Amino acid sequence: MSEPLLSVRDPLLSVKDLRVSYQVGRNFVHAVDGASFDIPRGSITGLVGESGCGKTTVARALTRVIAENAAITGGQILFDGKDLAKIPEKEMNALRWRDIAFIPQSAMNSLDPVYTVEYQLDEVLRRRGGLSRKQSRARSEELFEMVGIDANRLNDYPHQFSGGMRQRVAIALALALDPKLIIADEPVTALDVIVQRQILDQLKELQTRLGVSVILVTHDISVVAYICDRTVVMYAGKVAESGTMQAALTAPSHPYTMGLRNAFPDLQGAASGILTPIEGAPPNLASPPAGCRFKPRCPFALDICGTEPPVIEVAPDHPVLCHRAHESAALRIESAKTETWMAPA
Amino acid sequence: MKNFKAVGGRLLQLALVLWAVVTILFLMFRLMPGNPMAAYIDPTFTLEQQQQLMAQFGLDKPLWHQYLIYLGNLLQGELGQSFRYREPVGQRIWILLPNTLILTFSSLIVAYVFGILAGAYLAWRRGSWVEQAAIPLVLTTRAMPEFWLGMVMLAIFSFSLGWLPAGGTRAPGNEYSGFLDLYTSRDFLAHLALPAATLAIYSQGLPLLLMRSNMLDVMKEDFVTMARIKGLSNWTVVVRHAARNALLPVMTSFAIAVGYQLQGNVVVESVFSWPGLGRELVNAVAASDYPLAQGAFLMIALVVIFMNLLADLLYAFLDPRISHA
Repeated sequence: MSEPLLSVRDPLLSVKDLRVSYQVGRNFVHAVDGASFDIPRGSITGLVGESGCGKTTVARALTRVIAENAAITGGQILFDGKDLAKIPEKEMNALRWRDIAFIPQSAMNSLDPVYTVEYQLDEVLRRRGGLSRKQSRARSEELFEMVGIDANRLNDYPHQFSGGMRQRVAIALALALDPKLIIADEPVTALDVIVQRQILDQLKELQTRLGVSVILVTHDISVVAYICDRTVVMYAGKVAESGTMQAALTAPSHPYTMGLRNAFPDLQGAASGILTPIEGAPPNLASPPAGCRFKPRCPFALDICGTEPPVIEVAPDHPVLCHRAHESAALRIESAKTETWMAPA
Repeated sequence: MKNFKAVGGRLLQLALVLWAVVTILFLMFRLMPGNPMAAYIDPTFTLEQQQQLMAQFGLDKPLWHQYLIYLGNLLQGELGQSFRYREPVGQRIWILLPNTLILTFSSLIVAYVFGILAGAYLAWRRGSWVEQAAIPLVLTTRAMPEFWLGMVMLAIFSFSLGWLPAGGTRAPGNEYSGFLDLYTSRDFLAHLALPAATLAIYSQGLPLLLMRSNMLDVMKEDFVTMARIKGLSNWTVVVRHAARNALLPVMTSFAIAVGYQLQGNVVVESVFSWPGLGRELVNAVAASDYPLAQGAFLMIALVVIFMNLLADLLYAFLDPRISHA
């Protein structure tokens, strides 16, 4: 491969056929239904898709802190030679935050309101990192400097920070123990566009400097385009397409990725013409459609799409879950036209 | 600086509430039908003697004048003369108030400590058989009337088993040199046990159910989920994050509970012949001893107002979002 940094030969994390189900009453909702992807070392991977496509469930499954009514029902999460889906809870807990940290969507709600920010950093540094009180203080100051907040604000409470500042605090917390992997679940969704960009720039800068791997969960494909090296596109609990940023976003091969690209403005501000939405909504995962799950919304659907689609490698390291992946070059041209998405499929 | 201003404002508010209570009390007793002196004046008194007595108590003056005298006296801590005991009301209250406060606070503290711990535990063990059995039990204790519970306690522990005394604060004939001597004696504590237990059993349901439902809410908060993702121990997650946050409204309810408890005391003090303010209040109203009733009401109002202030200050201390707002 041309870019050794992005090589997937020795991935940090390899998710294979992951299945996560929620029990709702007597029914099971398969929120993640056989997702497979790799996360290379030292990269930012965007996990993108609409609400309810299973991306947050995947992210949380990697920490194994999932809803009470949810369970990992199959597959593997290979991380550092261990299968996180199988190891005992105690071993998993030892790994949390030291190896896998998390940046939540709303730092307001995920910081405990009754403790100072320093207490919350200290809690992680001392209880999880084994640092002394003095080391912990020094590290906290260092972390605040890294995310660009004055160290004398350490004694402040979460509600005394602005939204963007709180998100920086959340980043500082995630970096505290030098994890190998940071999962950021919609880290900038609650912020305005200007602050979004500042936070993303900071995340990218720190990621490059520290060589940590980041999984960025987002519904916003322009965020992925802005900072990610790779992308994993999810639809209805399955991975529709994954590959390098270049491959997946400049030459998308799954109709869903093509549609997403049309539906979002560019974060860098380049006016890319008219935004075209994908009509309809993702299927109810309690009873997903047979065959390709995107078929009801897909402008290119054929009869064959009623059967389970194959995973086709349109290029090395670029798998696509689509019957028509081979024709993707032609479909791409069609997909750029607004009319294509107007007519009900 | 901001804190001082907030506390100052709160104190001013408190003074206003106090003034309103004092005024309502004044009017309540003046506007009641019947002659307030009825209990005091012997029918054999001559009209002249009666008028002389009315003048002695200042009841011949116009209402506004009486009100001013009343306010003036209150400011000097003068609560008047009890009709029944022929002694200053203040002195009477001073003897009874400690008994009531000891009963109220000992039972409430036991109830709250137990309720908070048990509520947190039940929230943590949600869905287990322990919880399934405990909730109906707690609701049963909430549904039992205090006087009934008190009588059952008396029947079992005093009359049947003979473990504990049935009423009063001390065995007949026992004398004590001072307050502290009395209140720390085994004798007093044995007398305290049954009424305090009755009130505690009755009161623990509120903090328990409140704590449990708060815990269940807080456990769903993002910061609790984050604490788990941080790999913190179960104890740290449940106690330091969930319970610490769930505790806030429970602490406020404590102050409000003191007010309710003072009402409840009226019943329990009567059942256990506990010489407290509640029982005295009932007796005073029954005997038309208006100055004493007025004084007892005022004292209870004072305690409630003070506890509310304490709750506000405590809340500000426990919740940084309020003190730093």
